[in-house]
Amino acid sequence: MKILRLISLLIDYPTAELIAEKDALLAVVASSGLPAEHAESLSAFIENRCRGDIVDWQEEYDGLFERGRSLSLLLFEHVHGESRDRGQAMVDLMNQYKEAGLEISTKELPDYIPLYLDFLSTQGNDNARLGLQEVSHILALLACRLEQRESDYASLFHALVGLSEVALDLNDLRGQIAGEVPDNTPKALDKVWEEEMVNFMDNAESSCSSNNRPAEGQRRDQYIPLNTELLKTSSAGQV
Amino acid sequence: MSHLLEKLRFFRTRKESFANGHGATTDQDRSWEKGYRQRWQHDKVVRSTHGVNCTGSCSWKIYVKDGLVTWETQQTDYPRTRPDLPNHEPRGCPRGASYSWYIYSANRLKYPKVRGQLMKLWREAKAQHSDPVKAWESIVSDPVKAKSYKERRGLGGFVRASWDEVNELIAASNVYTTKTYGPDRVSGFSPIPAMSMVSYAAGARYLSLIGGNCLSFYDWYCDLPPASPQIWGEQTDVPESADWYNSNYIIAWGSNVPQTRTPDAHFLTEVRYKGTKTCIITSDYSEASKFGDTWLAPRQGTDSALAMAFGHVILKEFHVDKPSTYFTDYSKRYTDMPMLVMLEESNGHLTGGRFLRAADLVNNLGEDNNPDWKTIALNSNGSMTSPNGSIGYRWGEKGKWNLEQKDRSGDVDLVLSLKDQNDGIADVAFPYFGGAPHEYQYFQHTEHNEIQLRKVPVKSVELADGTTAKVATVFDLMLAHYGVDNGIGDSNRASSYDDDVPYTPAWQEAITGVNRADVIRVAREFADNADKTRGRSMVIVGAALNHWYHMDMSYRGLINMLMMCGCVGQTGGGWAHYVGQEKLRPQTGWTPLAFALDWQRPPRHMNGTSFFYNHSSQWRYEKLNMSEVISPLAPKERWTGSIIDFNSRAERMGWLPSAPQLGTNPLHLADKAKAAGQEVQDYVVDQLKKGDLKFACEQPDNPQNFPRNMFIWRSNLLGSSGKGHEYMLKHFLGTKHGLLGKDLGEFGGQKPEDVEWVDQGAEGKVDLWVTLDFRMSTTCLYSDIVLPTATWYEKDDMNTSDMHPFIHPLSAAIDPVWEARSDWEIFKGIAKEFSRVCVGHLGVEKDLVTIPMHHDTPAELAQPYGVKAWWKGECEPVPGKTMPHLNVVERDYPNTYARFTSIGPLLENIGNGGKGISWDTKDEVKLLRQLNYTHTDEGINKGMAKLDTAIDACEMILTLAPETNGHVAVKAWEALGEFTGLDHTHLAIPKEEEKIRWRDIVAQPRKIISSPTWSGLEDEHVSYNAGYTNVHELIPWRTVTGRQQYYQDHEWMRDFGEQLCAYKPPINLKTVEPVLNKKPNGNKEIVLNWITPHQKWGIHSTYSDNLLMLTLSRGGPIVWMSEVDAKEAGIEDNDWIEVFNVNGAIACRAVVSQRVPEGMSMMYHAQERIVNVPGAETTGTRGGIHNSVTRAVMKPTHMIGGYAQQAYGFNYYGTVGCNRDEFVIVRKMNKVDWLDTK
Repeated sequence: MKILRLISLLIDYPTAELIAEKDALLAVVASSGLPAEHAESLSAFIENRCRGDIVDWQEEYDGLFERGRSLSLLLFEHVHGESRDRGQAMVDLMNQYKEAGLEISTKELPDYIPLYLDFLSTQGNDNARLGLQEVSHILALLACRLEQRESDYASLFHALVGLSEVALDLNDLRGQIAGEVPDNTPKALDKVWEEEMVNFMDNAESSCSSNNRPAEGQRRDQYIPLNTELLKTSSAGQV
Repeated sequence: MSHLLEKLRFFRTRKESFANGHGATTDQDRSWEKGYRQRWQHDKVVRSTHGVNCTGSCSWKIYVKDGLVTWETQQTDYPRTRPDLPNHEPRGCPRGASYSWYIYSANRLKYPKVRGQLMKLWREAKAQHSDPVKAWESIVSDPVKAKSYKERRGLGGFVRASWDEVNELIAASNVYTTKTYGPDRVSGFSPIPAMSMVSYAAGARYLSLIGGNCLSFYDWYCDLPPASPQIWGEQTDVPESADWYNSNYIIAWGSNVPQTRTPDAHFLTEVRYKGTKTCIITSDYSEASKFGDTWLAPRQGTDSALAMAFGHVILKEFHVDKPSTYFTDYSKRYTDMPMLVMLEESNGHLTGGRFLRAADLVNNLGEDNNPDWKTIALNSNGSMTSPNGSIGYRWGEKGKWNLEQKDRSGDVDLVLSLKDQNDGIADVAFPYFGGAPHEYQYFQHTEHNEIQLRKVPVKSVELADGTTAKVATVFDLMLAHYGVDNGIGDSNRASSYDDDVPYTPAWQEAITGVNRADVIRVAREFADNADKTRGRSMVIVGAALNHWYHMDMSYRGLINMLMMCGCVGQTGGGWAHYVGQEKLRPQTGWTPLAFALDWQRPPRHMNGTSFFYNHSSQWRYEKLNMSEVISPLAPKERWTGSIIDFNSRAERMGWLPSAPQLGTNPLHLADKAKAAGQEVQDYVVDQLKKGDLKFACEQPDNPQNFPRNMFIWRSNLLGSSGKGHEYMLKHFLGTKHGLLGKDLGEFGGQKPEDVEWVDQGAEGKVDLWVTLDFRMSTTCLYSDIVLPTATWYEKDDMNTSDMHPFIHPLSAAIDPVWEARSDWEIFKGIAKEFSRVCVGHLGVEKDLVTIPMHHDTPAELAQPYGVKAWWKGECEPVPGKTMPHLNVVERDYPNTYARFTSIGPLLENIGNGGKGISWDTKDEVKLLRQLNYTHTDEGINKGMAKLDTAIDACEMILTLAPETNGHVAVKAWEALGEFTGLDHTHLAIPKEEEKIRWRDIVAQPRKIISSPTWSGLEDEHVSYNAGYTNVHELIPWRTVTGRQQYYQDHEWMRDFGEQLCAYKPPINLKTVEPVLNKKPNGNKEIVLNWITPHQKWGIHSTYSDNLLMLTLSRGGPIVWMSEVDAKEAGIEDNDWIEVFNVNGAIACRAVVSQRVPEGMSMMYHAQERIVNVPGAETTGTRGGIHNSVTRAVMKPTHMIGGYAQQAYGFNYYGTVGCNRDEFVIVRKMNKVDWLDTK
């Protein structure tokens, strides 16, 4: 899937080189067979971005993806946060690449989204779709969070969700993340700060499960890692 | 029913249960274990530790799987201790155990970054100028361009850059600054070299090679206790934590051991099982309080009053009523108690003057070498004597600088009191400071007169000039000052503990609130134990006391107790100050690496506090008048200037260093001198005298004197340690700030006398601010360039601590991820680029370096009497005597990289050393050539040992340091023996062949070898304890008298009434009144004292944005307050509150707790601005950090120099950044604004 390599390029850090290749990028979109809605928004993204100043684009990129964890481009940041499971998850993913005969050639982590897309683009259409399906909930989450920040980057993630062919209820997701917004009512903020008793046993999510991490209820950051269990139910067994 | 039919014959159930169904026995295969096994499988385990500002220095196992760090656990292979002493393990705490997530965190800095605006300017400039130096010039010399990127600081907008590009930019900026303004306009700040010493050395070596300033940190962090240099001539030296176990009575005073010394706290727990009694002294009900058999809670800031009362009891019972034989003997041998002090007239009273010197007496009492610096006592045979060991014996002669009870004519027995052999009784005046009311009436005062008269027995001594002087012993003066009645017939002294006379237990009750009976009991127990055990009573003391303006009074007060009881230098006894981290054990091996002493000497050092106070223009807002803090007996006319004036005088008199140094480029002075046909030194002295040349400190707002380039590494300077945070934002950086106060010009305050005032204070003085970090910190947010550095699991480095005697490594478990590089590689890269870019701009240059009179050099004897200003014609300007030394250092700029990466020739030509002694190092350099190999390419470093990798640098330290190389240790003890005339080599000879190398410490932490750099022993029989070799090897303390000094006799000390320790209340900073009730939000405003202790939930002072830790605490900025104060202000627990004063504002949540006494508010050190901080209503900008409401205030007594122990040394003596006298306004917030739309 060439389109994945294109989106991988666009999600990665923008460079002057990329701007120079504008026409080639647009050509890939045109020949991708994406539904019109996604193809248009992708083309618009490329047109818009390549028209502006590269440094401004880079500044904006830095502010979006390199500050804080809510828009991290590392898949497992959203699944494992800083729990000890994260190291093992990365090791497993790396094995997947190895089995496919590929080795990581840059200084990037295996769960970096553009890298993962690069990998999928080599795996044939069916496998690529399956690969996207596995992470579709994260892609959808990022799409919604980017919408919330009114960033046109959202369109890239919407396109990926589309390619995964998973029918996710995005409104439901939007509803879920609406509570994350650091809005101005002290009451909503209090929720995040509330001092609770830490309870290691009597909690459905933590007791005797393989997850050796604090239960979600005990977390204090504003961006709760995606609760895949909940999402699976809401997307009605599509995965 | 048949039993047979009931049971299965061919099957059994898979599980058979027991214990009422709670247990089950199965015999399935063990495949279920696979998941567990895989989970804990790993490829390798690497030893490392956590390395900036934590004294723990704990060894950890880092687990690596497929090149990824997966988790860490504590190492458990420390060498065992001896029998009957608990082992050091397990070491570690939750802060360290949660570190590994940082490596892959979303907060990790992954690429070099430059602020977008600067990047645009730079690329445009580079397109126009092929020469990068010209390109930089085109940006900074254009005010519009310069302002356009400076005012964006702190507002985000970073873009990635390649290493080549940032290195070129940084080098161009350094070259331009050096060429245009001078190399001393480039400065760098990095703290605590002990924790990752090679990383520190990397930046310091680069700066030292180009002539930049290294800024000190121990004093700036206010962890340096000035009392230690004053009393002992030693920066700080303390017992290792294992020695707590040898103690029989422990007072833990303002030190929250379980919270801030987690891996060591077990020794305190264990020794209590052995029967040791403990007394905890903390103002709040801290976590440490539970360790105490007694808990005393004096009002914060009044600890010296409590210490004085303890001292009163000890003196009365153990020195006067029933003198302890041990204490008396110790006092005569090891303290200045028998020394004679001249009494002088001041403001119509007779008061304590300076020590009597041999030079005062007829024929110098037979002492021709340094008679000005030999102090005098009375021998028991009635004659005057100059006993061995005073500092006059240290320099200019050999073999008599020791603590043997001898003088030139044989054995002596010194007289402590003149009570029974005097020439009369004199009325002596002592200043009393406890009578001054506090600005908010928070601290209590008493009604005693500011001058206290006491009767003191004196001797009349005939002086060389024919006059007679009255002299008294320090011991007699102390008894009088403490108000202890020794039967001399003085009605002004206390006749009982219940008399309200300074400094009785009854007197202190009014000030501290501590019950007098408790004071008497604790003092008695403490001294009685020390008497019976020969000094096994200990005081563990922490930052809580050291961060007050008059911290030296609290410290001297409690150290006096230890000296009175003979505890210093004894196993299980003494002063255990654990604040910050001073102990770089292989120090003398490290200094040549760090300051490039193998290539050129001397380096430029600068005391951090004065630097930041000056350049962030905090002096422009100074409201503390010196007349408020000097002694009522001092001549007022000497103290009319502002604090900055006294600092500038100290710089010009050669007391403190300067940065920048002179008001001109020091690279140009040699040429100018040549043109004038003069030697450089003569030329500079002439120019200064004529006033054509000034010191930079006289005109801080002159653009020529701005600190143009700053490097920050291993530190969150603007976050955790920036006292006067908002001042830094405004004046240093020229960006948005939350400063609420007005400067002296705006409110018509008293302007400085010596330092030039301009109405419009400079803003944005720094042209380029570069920060190295592994995460986006508050400091990074404000930087122009951010460089991603390796974490503690990604680099090779070394680590030592004062808490235990081991040296161990940080080692690279994995390579730095993304584009990160180790500090060593980063500065090496900058050095390389500097060498390239400078060609055509800088070649081999002569740099004039000004250096203050240093402690532990003969120059510490520069100014024996009085304070003289050469610029007022009071004396001639003589370099090294009445003004700084002037040294010419040759810089070879194009060879900066070649020098950086090789071990230079000076170690072989001059040797190495430290603390006043030196030794030959030819053998060690030869060994290093073999270990590190040599450079083979043509060039200035051909044939020299390589210094290419961080491991090469580690080997250099380990090979050169006596602590890690037995041969060097023996040489060092021999060198010291020449001074003392005693043989000390027996301390190292058993370990002569021991050489600790890098691979050894990677295999296991190693215990270091005893060295004269330190005053304790690393031994199989005693635990490390400070002062041990002074007492047991008779090595003098490095003070005027060579002894531990109760008495301080410098003129400025006397003007501050600090000859002897006194109670001094917290000072009035006047930072609340101008804003109190001025911007009301409808909620009640209350005024509270502001305390910033260390916390449990941050990884020491480095950062507090670790999610696991935030989860355990409340998760964001919080301030603790008492229930009473909260009620008064209508605040409930967890309410959003605002804390502010003229210095700035903080938005945070209230924790209302019974832990906190009324009138106090506490905010933990180093909470982060990047974590969950809303806007403050008062300033409309994002609420600040704990230092937003503070400002540095300096004390002139810490500026003293050229005077034995009160002489400058890097991180040894100098102004300190105290901040606990501060008060703040607290009120409930109406509306929490996260400023997210802005």
